[in-house]
Amino acid sequence: MMPDKLVIAMPKGVLYADAAARLRGAGIEVPTDPGRRLTLTTADGRAELLLLRPTDVPAYVEFGAADCGIVGKDVLWETDRSVSELADLGFGYCRLVVAARRIDRYHEGAPFPTFLRVATKFARSAEAYFAERDLPVELIPLHGSVELSPVVGLADAIVDLVATGKTLREHDMVIVDEIAESTARFVVNPVRFRAKYTAIVDLLTRLDAQTAAL
Amino acid sequence: MRLPAGVRDWLPHELARKRDVEHVIRAVFGRWAYEEVQTPTFERFDVLEKGLGSDLVEQAYRFSDRRATALALRPEMTTPIARLVSTRMREAPLPLRLSYVTPVYRYYDQPQEGRLRELTQGGVELIGSAGIDADAETLFMALETLDEIGLRDALFDVNDASVVDGILTGVGLSADTAVVAKRFMKERNIVALRSLEPKLVDYAMTRGGTEVLAFARRVCRTPASTAALDRLEVLLERAARLGYGGRVQVDFALLRDLEYYTGFIFEGYVPEVGFSLCGGGRYDGLLPRFGFDVPAVGWTAGVERLLIALERRGKHVVRRRHRIDVLVSGSDVVAARERAAGNVVRFTSGDFDEAALVADARAHHIPRVVIATNGSVRELRVTPALDDRLPVQTLGAKWDAK
Repeated sequence: MMPDKLVIAMPKGVLYADAAARLRGAGIEVPTDPGRRLTLTTADGRAELLLLRPTDVPAYVEFGAADCGIVGKDVLWETDRSVSELADLGFGYCRLVVAARRIDRYHEGAPFPTFLRVATKFARSAEAYFAERDLPVELIPLHGSVELSPVVGLADAIVDLVATGKTLREHDMVIVDEIAESTARFVVNPVRFRAKYTAIVDLLTRLDAQTAAL
Repeated sequence: MRLPAGVRDWLPHELARKRDVEHVIRAVFGRWAYEEVQTPTFERFDVLEKGLGSDLVEQAYRFSDRRATALALRPEMTTPIARLVSTRMREAPLPLRLSYVTPVYRYYDQPQEGRLRELTQGGVELIGSAGIDADAETLFMALETLDEIGLRDALFDVNDASVVDGILTGVGLSADTAVVAKRFMKERNIVALRSLEPKLVDYAMTRGGTEVLAFARRVCRTPASTAALDRLEVLLERAARLGYGGRVQVDFALLRDLEYYTGFIFEGYVPEVGFSLCGGGRYDGLLPRFGFDVPAVGWTAGVERLLIALERRGKHVVRRRHRIDVLVSGSDVVAARERAAGNVVRFTSGDFDEAALVADARAHHIPRVVIATNGSVRELRVTPALDDRLPVQTLGAKWDAK
């Protein structure tokens, strides 16, 4: 019997190439470059791919528009959707950090201002981090170029993802604290896990085998 | 003129479909000898809080009256019924079989399809019955309800909170770690389970029939968990004898509200819809919180979710060809006679000619027109369209404007 066809939510952007390679390694013919398409059926007919902004992947999976998907843990923190995290795929490593200008010396223990202004794309994670430490902060939600905000005086600190640290160095900023580490995850809709059990478990086994071989 | 987020209107043709589903649900509940009850839409918050899990306490709409009494809209019906039974029905002979089909209110952060802030639940409470027969009754009722609605391939997963406790103890977790592990099991967060206790991964991933129970027997040692495994085994056999064999599966990661369920748990779903349609289980700890020490088991279905499932399949519960049986013009007496015969009658004054009446009947899928003028009565047949949707603009509105 042909296993159930899976609808897979794929993150466009930096994670796509690795995600596609893992799925190919699992025997699904995912193209290296999907072009500008929003959906495509793989050449072997085994899966339908939804090509989404990474932050949209959890919503598609939670509501069952996709059976499963690949997405960074950082996005899962921010979106707080009910999806089951079946595997840590290991790629897409980055850290969520608090960073500030070197000259402010927060990284060397200089006290934060009483009411810290924090610019971030990760409002939920940032709020949780500062609330846990009882630090009153004013969050400034931004959508891009967060590292610019302390330089021009919009914020005292930022909460952002760091992969190599190059962008921070370019703006003369340093890491004050590390909040968490993120990698890509294979996530599944809780109902589809049951409804397409065989196909999901088969794919998971093939994904895990590749992660273990690294 | 906007509505708040998460609530919706029901137009006549939409509400008709919803009522059809509710009708089927009530009919099944009735056949299993459940009696419907109604409780207030809002209650004192401190009373509701006693029975609700932390998720629902957080989702409850809370407000206060002019004397600053803290109130809340009911986010579910099990707690109000527990309150009702423990205060008003203590002397009633047990077991009690009570049902409801009613709106409940939840403040979801991100309201979406299948997650409305005002939603309709149809469910039952079987109070005062501890045995497997009561567990089986709720499961088989739920299967029967979804069958009758037309979802004859709906799948059901079953589990027992005691089995999960047995597995967690069996792999050697401390009580504190078990609390965390249970939450990860419920989310089926395999990544987190793998770093907490890798032995749990297989239990969270396994799903199937009696072979799965055998797998759990290898680790479950507590009397409560082995007894629960025995009960699940009997339940699977009984389901198979009813013809539900392949549709009921064991899933140890199926956990609903953790502070609530003490034993048997189940959920029902269909492949097309990414959220469960119904679910329930045993909550023997609930009534004691209201000072009435009796066991209870129950289940509930989301009516809007059932409608979504039917819609995905292009199905309705009852495909009625028409909702109005006859259009009567010109005579109160004729109209009264038609209503007395059990027909749905649309009445209009005698000012319209035959062509206009027939056009009106056709537009509203009314199969018959009776015209009374000057003591004579004529009857016409109209072939209605098959589509049961009502036209958005009615002819009546145009006439009124004239």
